[in-house]
Amino acid sequence: MTTALIEIRNVSRHYTRGVDEIHALDNVSLDLQAGRFVAFMGPSGSGKSTLLNLVSGIDRPSSGEVIVAGARLNDLSEDELAHWRARHVGLIFQFFNLMPVLNALDNVALPLLLTDLDKKERLRRAETALRVVGLGHRLDHYPRTLSGGEQQRVAIARAVVTDPDLIVADEPTGDLDARNAEEILTLLRQLKNEFGKTIVMVTHDPRALRFVDAALHLDKGVLLEGEAAARADEAIRLAAGGGLVGALRTA
Amino acid sequence: MKYFGLIRANLGRNKLRTALTGGAIMLAVALVCILLTMPAGMNALLDTISSNTRISVHNKAGIVYSMPYAFTRKVRAIDGVAAAVGMTWYGGAYEEAGRVTFPNFAVEAEYVGDVYPDYKIDPQQLADFKRYRDGAIVGRQTMKKYGWKIGDRITLKSTVWPADLDVRIVGEITNERAPMLWLNREYLDEALKARGGSGLGIVGVVWVRAADPARVNAIMRTADELSRNSEAETASETEKSFFSNFFGSLQGFVTIILIVTGLVALCIVFIAANTASMAVRERSGELAVMKAMGFTRGIIFGTLFTEAVLLSSVAGFLGVGLTLGLTKLLSAAAGWNDTLGPLGAFIVTVPVIVEGIFLSLFVGMLAGFVPSWGAARKPVVQILHEVF
Repeated sequence: MTTALIEIRNVSRHYTRGVDEIHALDNVSLDLQAGRFVAFMGPSGSGKSTLLNLVSGIDRPSSGEVIVAGARLNDLSEDELAHWRARHVGLIFQFFNLMPVLNALDNVALPLLLTDLDKKERLRRAETALRVVGLGHRLDHYPRTLSGGEQQRVAIARAVVTDPDLIVADEPTGDLDARNAEEILTLLRQLKNEFGKTIVMVTHDPRALRFVDAALHLDKGVLLEGEAAARADEAIRLAAGGGLVGALRTA
Repeated sequence: MKYFGLIRANLGRNKLRTALTGGAIMLAVALVCILLTMPAGMNALLDTISSNTRISVHNKAGIVYSMPYAFTRKVRAIDGVAAAVGMTWYGGAYEEAGRVTFPNFAVEAEYVGDVYPDYKIDPQQLADFKRYRDGAIVGRQTMKKYGWKIGDRITLKSTVWPADLDVRIVGEITNERAPMLWLNREYLDEALKARGGSGLGIVGVVWVRAADPARVNAIMRTADELSRNSEAETASETEKSFFSNFFGSLQGFVTIILIVTGLVALCIVFIAANTASMAVRERSGELAVMKAMGFTRGIIFGTLFTEAVLLSSVAGFLGVGLTLGLTKLLSAAAGWNDTLGPLGAFIVTVPVIVEGIFLSLFVGMLAGFVPSWGAARKPVVQILHEVF
């Protein structure tokens, strides 16, 4: 029996915004095995980003239990969570979020500052990561001189350079054109296939279904299961293949 | 140390702003150092004009009150006194009617040279001063100011005594900053008697030179003992203390300098704090990403705080350097331009350098603390929500 890398047990996340109490997640449970490439999908406000934050140790649940890579994240303090993230999680953001004052090599080497590696080794590993994402020729380029697709590749290299157990990506194709989006999804798939990385991605992009092992659908803070999940999945596949009309017909 | 590259890169993010903030801190530190140099400079000035063996014996009620002239002889007889000279304010005005433009005193010509051997007055000139009743010895500063030379005759109109005197300059105090004029006490005494008065029976201050610095305190005690219960009780003090009290108004000036210094320091704290706040605000997205990556609050705080302190410290060092350069320039200029006067004495001392550097460190720490702490303490999820 394979141990799940991510175990989520009856997790709810509530918070207040002004006088309103927001139920971002409601009693969600799921297990994800290591080496899987999974997408969290759903409309805006469905709770997918909240779930991603919980899985990556950025946020903590109001109730329930989040266990990732053997660590019960509920028990960790803010600083302990930071240390845990540095060791176990690589992050990819929609808007790349590279440091504009650092070149590509130094951007990728940034998370390695949190390790005990010396500078030479940090730069060597960063260079290797950049070569893996196909940017070995852009080491000393600053973000402003790179295209959107290239910047996202640098961000992916930054996410994998520490060899984390888990890569989380929040809308990694959201700010890219179709060609670059396909390339980024292909790259993420390669990381899963060739390096056995576990990848959890939040996306609205229907093309993602062609690359992921599974899509988990959320709606109003609830994880859809059974027939509801199948219908949501079908709607997205239709949107990807047949456009909006087909998707609306199925929904 | 491994974060230094990141700190350096962030300092270079907006070079113009970094340069302007650093420049403001540099100039402010230089200004503070120059202001701090002034009290030390005054002290140095007092040291240069004071001897550690000279004592002033004057009326306890204040230097404007006199003592019987006979008291001078009693002081001179105290054990350990090498020489003593009585000095009385003449208050002579030259040219500008009614206004005294340099200090002038009636002194005992036969003793004054022994009390002021450090003034290096030519022995022949001192001999002439003793020989000629109408002789006068004048400080070089006043000689230069009026273009006088040895042998010139000048007329002084006293603002104190009913006796205007024609004096002949027979000697010069070679110190460039010496302004005083000494005239012969007997000459004034005779002039007063000639006008029907009783002569100069009083003395303003008795200046004493102790044979040994170790005897100074004992001599001061004895002198004051001698005058106890008399009509003119005395208060003796060292020359440095005397000048320090004489220029008492300078203390107020020093206080103002220190207040201005404090205000300038406060201003640069605000400037640096504003820069640090802007730097943190415009970087909130990057800080959120760094925190999400696993950079702890301590590291975030440390890098931001170090950045502020580093900028301030480098600017502080440059400010101290600027002060050193400026004061050296002033000192050199004072050598050939008398109008700069005592500015030449305002030399940057090691304590002033240390104070300037510590000020810049303090400014950096104070300015960097609040924004750095604010950026560090926010939970990562909150900052991500705010930014994205």
